[in-house]
Amino acid sequence: MTGNGEKAEVKDAFYVYGICEATAAAVIAAEGLPGAIEEDAGVELITVDGLSAVVSRVPLASYAELSLAENLTDATWTAVRAMRHQQVVEHFARRTSVVPLRFGAIYLEFEGVERMLTDRKLELKEIIERLRGREEWGINLYADRETLAGVIDSLSPRLRDLHEQAATASPGQSYLLRKKIETLRADESRSELQRISSEVEDTFRSLADETRRLRVLRVEATEHGELTAKFAFLIKRASFEEFRATAERLARKHELSGVRLELTGPWPAYNFAGD
Amino acid sequence: MNSPFEQVVLQSDIDELETSDLSLLETLDHVLNRGLVIAGEITISVADIDLIFLGLNVLVSSVEKAHEVLREREQGKNPGTSETEGLQTER
Repeated sequence: MTGNGEKAEVKDAFYVYGICEATAAAVIAAEGLPGAIEEDAGVELITVDGLSAVVSRVPLASYAELSLAENLTDATWTAVRAMRHQQVVEHFARRTSVVPLRFGAIYLEFEGVERMLTDRKLELKEIIERLRGREEWGINLYADRETLAGVIDSLSPRLRDLHEQAATASPGQSYLLRKKIETLRADESRSELQRISSEVEDTFRSLADETRRLRVLRVEATEHGELTAKFAFLIKRASFEEFRATAERLARKHELSGVRLELTGPWPAYNFAGD
Repeated sequence: MNSPFEQVVLQSDIDELETSDLSLLETLDHVLNRGLVIAGEITISVADIDLIFLGLNVLVSSVEKAHEVLREREQGKNPGTSETEGLQTER
């Protein structure tokens, strides 16, 4: 129907998921492809000079600038597209080295995708090489402030001192001492959290080819405590087991301090594809 | 089974995906916030993406809603149904 985009009644645009080597892409495509970002679309390849863009034709009615902005305010619409985007990128990432794009690279014409592949050929090939045989793992650190404060109380000599003084002081003094304890406890908790966070980052960094500390955009506290740090690591497939074992060791080590490690992955290397 | 992690997200396993709201949030986080930005003829801006993610994050942070979204995806339903409205009222 829309094979000849220019002539079709309903104009399609080209949604790009990611880019990989053409030879690998052809083999993967021959084995069957996952569902596209839109129900009635297919996943196709646009190939130029050894590189293939993984694309779907999407209706301009939903993806043109204004309608896209509106659709994106609909959480369900966006969540569903994000999941499908991920499934397509992941399908390729499990089988070859892929440059994962984030949601929303849309071209009005087939030729626009071809031009992008031509113009960015060297950059894309460099990324494909850098990511080869690797995927991304995420580590999230959550802190339960109360548990951490309790541990700090029992470990810090200065805090232990203050607690003993407060126990025998007059009511007035005891009030001031408790204020002092709160401030000191908050300070020491913060630096302990920073220490653990650095330890975690350094430990995984030694196993990773690249490391990113990510912005924490998540606003709410969860049942696991407050999200305090978020890291991404680019890991060779051969090191997955060691990475996981290290995560388990660190998680056990810090759980009594009220610090939880959360391990997610493997992901397509979204955090290492550029920028 | 003796893992200290409550949630290890294995993206290859769709069953795991469904049992965890975390994985949906993480997916949104990855797909919306990260990845190479190749400016197509239509591209959403970085600031927009942050706002969208924050909005979704608040919305999807309960297991129940995450499952609703996943169910819809599984059934391949068209957005714009009553389920969509149900989600929107939560905003």
